[in-house]
Amino acid sequence: MNAQHPVHIVMIEDDEGHARLIEKNIRRAGISNDLTHFLDGNSALEYLFNAPDGPALNGPALVLLDLNLPDMSGTDILAKIKGHEKLHRVPVVVLTTTDDKVEIQRCYDLGCNVYITKPVNYESFADAIRQLGLFLSVMQVPDADGA
Amino acid sequence: MVIALISGFLLLIAAFLLVLLELRNGAASSALVRHTYEVKDTVSELQIAVERAEASRRGYIIAPTAYRLQTYRLWSPRILENINRLETQVLDNPEQIARIKAVRPIVVRELAELDYSMDLATDGRREEALQRFARTNTLSSVQEIRDRATRIENVEDRLLAQRLNTADRQQTFLKWLLVLAGLMLALVGSLTFWLARRFTGALIASQAELHRLNADLEVRVAQRTAGLLHANDEIQRFAYIVSHDLRSPLVNVMGFTSELERANKAIGDCVNRLQDENPELLDDDVRLAATEDLPEAIGFIRSSTQKMDRLISAILALSRQGRRVLTPEHLAMDRMMSDIANGLTQQAAERGATIEIETPLPDMVHDRLAIEQIFSNLIENAIKYLQPGRPGIVVVRGDQHGDRVRFEVEDNGRGIAKDDYERVFDLFRRSGLQDQKGEGIGLANVRALAYRLGGTVSLRSSLGEGSTFIVNLPTSFSEEGTES
Repeated sequence: MNAQHPVHIVMIEDDEGHARLIEKNIRRAGISNDLTHFLDGNSALEYLFNAPDGPALNGPALVLLDLNLPDMSGTDILAKIKGHEKLHRVPVVVLTTTDDKVEIQRCYDLGCNVYITKPVNYESFADAIRQLGLFLSVMQVPDADGA
Repeated sequence: MVIALISGFLLLIAAFLLVLLELRNGAASSALVRHTYEVKDTVSELQIAVERAEASRRGYIIAPTAYRLQTYRLWSPRILENINRLETQVLDNPEQIARIKAVRPIVVRELAELDYSMDLATDGRREEALQRFARTNTLSSVQEIRDRATRIENVEDRLLAQRLNTADRQQTFLKWLLVLAGLMLALVGSLTFWLARRFTGALIASQAELHRLNADLEVRVAQRTAGLLHANDEIQRFAYIVSHDLRSPLVNVMGFTSELERANKAIGDCVNRLQDENPELLDDDVRLAATEDLPEAIGFIRSSTQKMDRLISAILALSRQGRRVLTPEHLAMDRMMSDIANGLTQQAAERGATIEIETPLPDMVHDRLAIEQIFSNLIENAIKYLQPGRPGIVVVRGDQHGDRVRFEVEDNGRGIAKDDYERVFDLFRRSGLQDQKGEGIGLANVRALAYRLGGTVSLRSSLGEGSTFIVNLPTSFSEEGTES
């Protein structure tokens, strides 16, 4: 990733098991960027928009977003990120169990950059995450402030 | 009321018959009256004939003129004529016959006397005739004839009075009968009218009631349908949420099982190396745990979670199926069925089965995907569950009955036990030997689809001989009652 501004990965995932598996597989793909994990939508939003070390006030970031959260829908978070003046360029990877066509369309309409359905089959899941890792390693992420 | 009406009509008919009878009686009475008048006429004619004959004879004896002789010759034959006629006229009355019989000899004797004296007078023996006239009491016998005739006439008069009276009474009776019949006619007529009106009123009222009930029923059906649809929606949503939320933990179970396997592989490698290099550090428990127990446990966890995943996917697919919007279109079933069969030819050939389609099949207006799924599932099952050692023959046929179509998918496969007829349609339930791959979803899906299209699926089968699945559908899909 961007060498001058290390990209911060923000993972919003209510299932700790999933979070752990995702992190493990990202690491296995050779991605060593900082990763912050949030279990619910509110604390994640607080961090994204207001935290001193959060992406809104700091360098570039990438969001891994689960849609099924206990306190709010992931699509709301997506809409908020994409509607924010500084964060709207932050790439958002939706990583969820839902493979409903309507839901996928809605996410892309809201500006999600990648939509990945978590395969139940673990090998496929691990593959997907590793490929995502490889993808992350080559993709260019814009600065949060648009600089 | 109807009984009253019927008895009214019967009474009317009776009155009519009575009137007819009375008319006949009246005719008979007037005939009798006429007859009496005739008898009276004859009697008076007899009397006149006797009087005139006697008078003309007397005159002739005293002063013989041609005129008197002519008069006598005119009247004397009428005496017997009339008495003969009288006899035939009163044949119905024995008393009068007796009276006539009594008067007859007197008349005959008188007539003979008259003839004799006239003969004398015409022979020129007028003196002799005069003497004989003075000697015989002719006047008294004429008087007797007159008296007797009067008596006969009197009897006839009495009869006449009686008969006139009878005729009069009959006429009066007839008059009242007619009045009564008229009244009855009016009564029955108005009763009929009233009844007709009442029945018509009742009919209209019951029609209105029927209409109201019908409308009521439709409202109730609509309410029920709405309730059922709501419940169905709820179940669909429930199935969706449950299957969806069950997936999340399953991802973890499978994921960490893989992590375990990965870790176990590392441990196993280590144990194997130790076994090779320094076996005394290793006891049997550790070796077995790393090389046999752990891989076995992981294997079971993995296969079970995979199965669970398939089941959840099936529920998810079914619930998604139920939420899919159906788009009816015209389906040429001959074409469609042969496409389905072609798609399965490879699979059928591998198993040694053939598919026959009995054309023509009735066309329908339905959702293409749903119909395809129903029939490909049924035909695939037919190919799948063959009787070992017998080449499979699958026959598809269909016909139309009014606004329903009926398709049959018949096979000569292994059949289904009677106890399992319903079970095979349940989700995750299967019948017979479990020697084929599958989760027990196909038929559940077929039945759910058929219900959604407003149809049914049933089956008849005998074990070891084959099964026939019968799909009954409306010819064209209507949203009413299936979609809110």
